[in-house]
Amino acid sequence: MRRKIRTLSIGVLSVALVATGCTRTTEDGGTGNGNEEAKTQTGSISYEAADNQGPAKAVEGATKGGTITVLREFDFEHLDPARNYVNVQQLTTGLIYRSLTGYKENGTGEMLLVGDLARDPGKDVNGDCKVWEFTLRDGLKYEDGSPVTSKDVAHGVARSFAPQLNEGPHYIQQWLYPGGEYNATYKGPYDGGKPAPDGVETPDDKTIRFTFPEPHCDMPYAAAMATTAPVPAAKDTKTNYDLRPFSSGPYKVKSYQRDVALELERNPNWDPDSDPLRTAYPDGFRFTFGLEAAQIAERLVADAPADQTAFTWTDVPPAVLSRTTTGPVAERVVKGPTQYTWVLNINTQRVTDLNIRKALNYAVDKDAALKAIGGQAAGTPATTLMSPTTAGFKQYDAFGVPPTGDAQKAKDLLGGRTPELVLAHANTELRTQQAEAIRKSLTERGFKITMKSIESSSYYDEVGRKNNPYDLYLGGWGSDWPTGSTIIPPLYDGREIGPEGNQNLSYLNDAGISAEIDRVRKLPAAEQDAEWMKLDEKIMREFVPVIPVYYDATYVLHGSKVGNAFLSDAFGAIQVNTIHVKQ
Amino acid sequence: MLRFIVRRLLVAVVTLIVISLVTFGLFFAVPSSPAKVMCGKNCTAEDIAQVEERLGIRDPLPEQYTNFVSGIFVGRTFGSGDFERECPAPCLGYSFRNDQPVTEIVTQRAPVTFSIVFGAAAIWILLGVTLGMISALRRGTVFDRLAIGVSLAGASMQVYFFGLILLYLLVYATGLLPFPTYTPLTENPAKWALGLLLPWMTLGFLNSALYARLSRAQMLETLSEDFVRTARAKGLPLRRVHTRHALRAAITPIVTIAGLDIGTALGGTFITETIFGLQGLGKATVEAVQYLNLPVVMATVLLAAIFIVIANIVVDVLYAVIDPRVRLS
Repeated sequence: MRRKIRTLSIGVLSVALVATGCTRTTEDGGTGNGNEEAKTQTGSISYEAADNQGPAKAVEGATKGGTITVLREFDFEHLDPARNYVNVQQLTTGLIYRSLTGYKENGTGEMLLVGDLARDPGKDVNGDCKVWEFTLRDGLKYEDGSPVTSKDVAHGVARSFAPQLNEGPHYIQQWLYPGGEYNATYKGPYDGGKPAPDGVETPDDKTIRFTFPEPHCDMPYAAAMATTAPVPAAKDTKTNYDLRPFSSGPYKVKSYQRDVALELERNPNWDPDSDPLRTAYPDGFRFTFGLEAAQIAERLVADAPADQTAFTWTDVPPAVLSRTTTGPVAERVVKGPTQYTWVLNINTQRVTDLNIRKALNYAVDKDAALKAIGGQAAGTPATTLMSPTTAGFKQYDAFGVPPTGDAQKAKDLLGGRTPELVLAHANTELRTQQAEAIRKSLTERGFKITMKSIESSSYYDEVGRKNNPYDLYLGGWGSDWPTGSTIIPPLYDGREIGPEGNQNLSYLNDAGISAEIDRVRKLPAAEQDAEWMKLDEKIMREFVPVIPVYYDATYVLHGSKVGNAFLSDAFGAIQVNTIHVKQ
Repeated sequence: MLRFIVRRLLVAVVTLIVISLVTFGLFFAVPSSPAKVMCGKNCTAEDIAQVEERLGIRDPLPEQYTNFVSGIFVGRTFGSGDFERECPAPCLGYSFRNDQPVTEIVTQRAPVTFSIVFGAAAIWILLGVTLGMISALRRGTVFDRLAIGVSLAGASMQVYFFGLILLYLLVYATGLLPFPTYTPLTENPAKWALGLLLPWMTLGFLNSALYARLSRAQMLETLSEDFVRTARAKGLPLRRVHTRHALRAAITPIVTIAGLDIGTALGGTFITETIFGLQGLGKATVEAVQYLNLPVVMATVLLAAIFIVIANIVVDVLYAVIDPRVRLS
């Protein structure tokens, strides 16, 4: 999960459906403020045969052919399914390999979790969410024409236990081996390890069964992550697999030069009739790395012939924004809220006075912090811990403070004191500007702030150390699926705090909150959403561990010949499964 | 002449050994552990130790240096078991981030940098020297004043300013040129040239300004020398006096500077590559620094030094060819 909060450009991870595997949510929770309204994601797990059957619904006016170019600042961290935990990485690899389940989207918000490799989203065998069974479709083949089997899926799960491949999500692993380090006993299939972890069985080539010690009704969602992508043992090149995954999807890797370019071409053995998610219109994709954000935006604004079939996942930088709001360029903007909430963490180990933490909430100018990184295009001011896209979301404001802050109330709470605090920030241009805006408002309102710049690549390592020497630092968090269960426990359960690598960046450690987390977890799935929201408000009102600053939004461009470019509700970035080149 | 070259080569080898030692020292001087960076999240001490093993940074320093140097000549193996990697000679290290030998990375990136630098150098030397010579021969004319004015403007600008202006005017605003891209010369020469035209124009204009001014000054100085006057007095055709006598003498310091400029440019094209989004050695170096991909950093730093050393040797040799007195000294 930590990787999700690394940088602004990484964006939101994964899922955005309803609370559990068993409910449907359609409640809206807008934030207004002139930006596109953030909504609780709508959709459900669908067992309807029509939803689960391929081929994917055709896009009106779309034809096969052409190459889509994706312009990027940086290369992907990983393509290996075991190490795949970044939203745009997941979108990209969704073209190369398939998981047991996946999200069917069309840009209208009618998003469904359906079977991808599996015929349906999985069977809760005993009705207690402890045993889940998935049956693979007929006719699934790899790029070399060999059949995809359930043993390959099991091998994919097994290798995600290997310490060398540990960057991916760990839901299924931890559910299989709860109560501590998931790979303390099973370290993957390498070096003489068992071919599959305990609790993963493949009674035949079409069936894979997961048996968990505890109930996990979220399994259909967890199965949508790349952890369940098939990796045939014979094609497993261990850490090398990162550079050349073996295709079970509509495209295969044609060439990959790290940090330079990745080219995908058609996998002739992919059968569209077996795939309800992907239309695979383009003949290929080319990902170009190493470009500056401004360069990317300028190229897409200019829309020169070579860039007309290009798009980006990189937000338009503030300097270029003004030229994207009118005329034909505006028609090529894809924007909307994501699942991220950015908060200014208050290190509660160092800032122990509750009144000072409250004063900080009154003192921060959220508007200025947003303007520093693009204003409304970058997000809307926040007041809660969870994003409005979370199931069960209910807007509240613990302090009733305007987005620009309330200087008088801050000063009243301080009572003439001038707390000296260290504000740490990543050393990127945008984050530095944003920190400066925050520093300015805090300084004007009675605080004495010392800025500390941290190298962006080690920012979260630094602030994730329990005994870090900083009082305030920004952090963003997006859920893996939009329930409080993937937000509140990882961020506010004090029992999870370790010497380093922490996700609980406010280091709030309260036994009452931990107990409440345990209580909510044990509730029936349908009751959890509202309870997570109550806990969100309780934490903010009673403990004030953070200053909610903004709900994140994305604002990106595409070329004039890119068709069906829409923001994925599941991933918070342009979806590529049904994109096409306008002929 | 052979003795001269051998002497220069020996000095170059010693220089490179010193540079390799310093670069190797830098590898260990950085504050972050490359193993920790590479290990990813949830890394235990045991995991980090494994990565260190794979990186080969647990052996004593002298042994590591010896392995590094011997790897250049005979190749070496990194890691063990399932994670063993072969690095054939000339092995400059193994990048586990890229999962390939550093030599391969360098080989992939170097053609981009070479194309930018040599293409631009051809423009700046040809344009600069020609303009400078003509200006000197037409001293005081409108052409001379114009050339001096333009070259003054060129010499005052930086690539990150002029490059962006050209990019905006020729690519973003008018679409006259495509956004620079690199296509291998062997694959499509026309596309190669078109894709690199903008960086060539930028670097070519900026550097030619300097060369025009230098060439003009050198030529003017040479034209006033006694031997030129003698040549003229002997009744030699002016063209021959200018090309055979004056130009040969004037060009000597220009060759020196050109050699060093090219050597420096080969090792330091990061700004140009960044502005034009080209993935050459400079960009590779900065990316490697960002990701603490230290084997790549070490190799590119070493390469930059090698370029300068080679440029020095070439300059020395050319100097000796042009001016025989150098050989005697």
